[in-house]
Amino acid sequence: MYRYDEFDAAFVKARADQFREQVGRRISGEMNEDQFRPLRLMNGLYLQLHAYMLRVAVPYGTLGGKQMRKLAHIARTYDRGYGHFTTRTNIQYNWPKLVDIPAIIDHLAEVEMHAIQTSGNCIRNITVDQFAGAAADEIIDPRPIAEILRQWSSLHPEFSFLPRKFKIAVTGAPNDRAAIKFHDIGLKAVTNGAGEIGWEVWVGGGLGRTPMIGKLINSYVPNTDLLAYLESILRVYNRYGRRDNKYKARIKILVHEEGLETIKGQVEAEFAQVRGGVLTLPEEELDRISAYFAPPTFASYPATVIDIAREKILDPAYGRFLENNLNAHQQPGYVSVTISLKPIGKPPGDISADQMDLVADLAERFSFNELRATHEQNLVLPHVAIADLRALYDGLVAAGLEAGNVGEITDIICCPGMDFCALATARSIPIAEELSRKFSSPQRQKEIGDLKIKISGCINACGHHHVGHIGILGVEKKGGELYQITVGGDATENASVGKILGPGFEAEEVPDAIERLVDAYIARRETPDEPFIAAFRRLGEAPFKEALYGNA
Amino acid sequence: MEILTGNELISGATVYLDPQGNWVEDLQQARTFESGDKAERDEAVAKTKATMRILSIEIEKVVLKDGQLYPERLRERIRATGSTTPVFDRQHLTEDGHVSI
Repeated sequence: MYRYDEFDAAFVKARADQFREQVGRRISGEMNEDQFRPLRLMNGLYLQLHAYMLRVAVPYGTLGGKQMRKLAHIARTYDRGYGHFTTRTNIQYNWPKLVDIPAIIDHLAEVEMHAIQTSGNCIRNITVDQFAGAAADEIIDPRPIAEILRQWSSLHPEFSFLPRKFKIAVTGAPNDRAAIKFHDIGLKAVTNGAGEIGWEVWVGGGLGRTPMIGKLINSYVPNTDLLAYLESILRVYNRYGRRDNKYKARIKILVHEEGLETIKGQVEAEFAQVRGGVLTLPEEELDRISAYFAPPTFASYPATVIDIAREKILDPAYGRFLENNLNAHQQPGYVSVTISLKPIGKPPGDISADQMDLVADLAERFSFNELRATHEQNLVLPHVAIADLRALYDGLVAAGLEAGNVGEITDIICCPGMDFCALATARSIPIAEELSRKFSSPQRQKEIGDLKIKISGCINACGHHHVGHIGILGVEKKGGELYQITVGGDATENASVGKILGPGFEAEEVPDAIERLVDAYIARRETPDEPFIAAFRRLGEAPFKEALYGNA
Repeated sequence: MEILTGNELISGATVYLDPQGNWVEDLQQARTFESGDKAERDEAVAKTKATMRILSIEIEKVVLKDGQLYPERLRERIRATGSTTPVFDRQHLTEDGHVSI
């Protein structure tokens, strides 16, 4: 894991001191809200419906036990004993008081964390594959490049006031678990003809009110040129991105309106100027940063097969956990374990301070002190010996974190919605909880298989509803809530945007409507192994539309 | 019928302007403005802004329902009562959170 050097530490401390002084001036009345608002937003402090909300960055979703314990301490001391992991792999506190924010920021700095650039029209927290450095299908660990991009983008003077916010995701594996095609820039590790590893660059993806799939702007950029190439994209966007209309200000609109070839030409022209200059990334620097992410010293185990069928007979809940919550590891005898933050009937992504402490313990005991936050609002222990799985599971049971539902229908992504968010037009958490209860039976979830439901409480799509196999969008209608259902979205390498099949539903109608979609899928799938999204692509929307609205 | 609402600076708590010019937590204590009270309402907004202690000031429509003030928008009903799930009590004013105009 990356450790701050003297520059990082001084930079974060200076920023913490500066914000403490700014908060003091705001409280004393030296500064009004119009002056203070942009400053607090640059430090991740929002005002929501009931209180302030502080969004803390978890750089590329990576943290250790020390960081998690500090997050627990903050939750317990300054908030209401819990935190909420988001689809940007950050954590949000929903109840801090302004007067306590400087102390919270100081606590974060003690463990090399901060809330800088978790808001505002700048380059936001960079996200990566949650199994980075562990996944069996990985070409390269994307975290060193993500860390270099973090350093490049932090308070970048040219890119601190972009036309709109800017999000970058990176995957080092061909199987895209980071939704790179729905980011302003998505990077995917690839190998060229000479066997060298570089980056496929996708641009102009995004969700929100105008969902778009990113377009391939360059099929191979070597490590040495990556910063210069990304700087070139950002410069073109900064120059030509629309500032007259915030709803058309993201780079996806620029790429869409101008066309990929035009943008590509502009980027190449800029790149020709920048390439070979100060942004050239020396191999030695990449090696230096990569050393922070060197694999831990694994024990030597033979390749081990987990007898899930046997475990399911002995302990069905544990067997289900093994079946759903593990991901194949590069190292024989190890797996990555996803800790589901989706217990039945609870808000997705929420975790109590006590649970955070216990997860920190488990990371230290069983995963070389490494943890990841995922954009699907779960946590990951990336390096767990298969021999330790039972002990780990028992530890999770003690914390109420043993849900074995990863990738199943109750593993729902959900934004905070109108219970907390000032932008929301409808509640989302109650819908997620109700669906979770409706499909709570493990047998039913197993029968349904891989089906991702994603719920947003407004068109800004923090709940990624456009890329849910089934997406749910809450909108306001006549003072009440109405929910549009989309079908066929996919955030992976087979990216697609879900389609609205008809009119929206009242909240109480949503669970039955989703069940009708599920039943239509089960009735028509070719085999029990054909996933929902594959069946939808084969069958088209007609049977699903009929399931929702009848055939009238 | 309208009320004035906002969030107090220190705690961020939801507050309402009462008839005495205090910003208080209880919606039922809110001062109501009729359609003819626009000048008084706007004056109260201006005086509040001058305090620099109330953020996100909004004019909200309410009706009387069983003798109680009832916001027309669901969003405002949630602000008045707290999150519906997970259920949390509203944020409360701290000792230094008193604001009057």
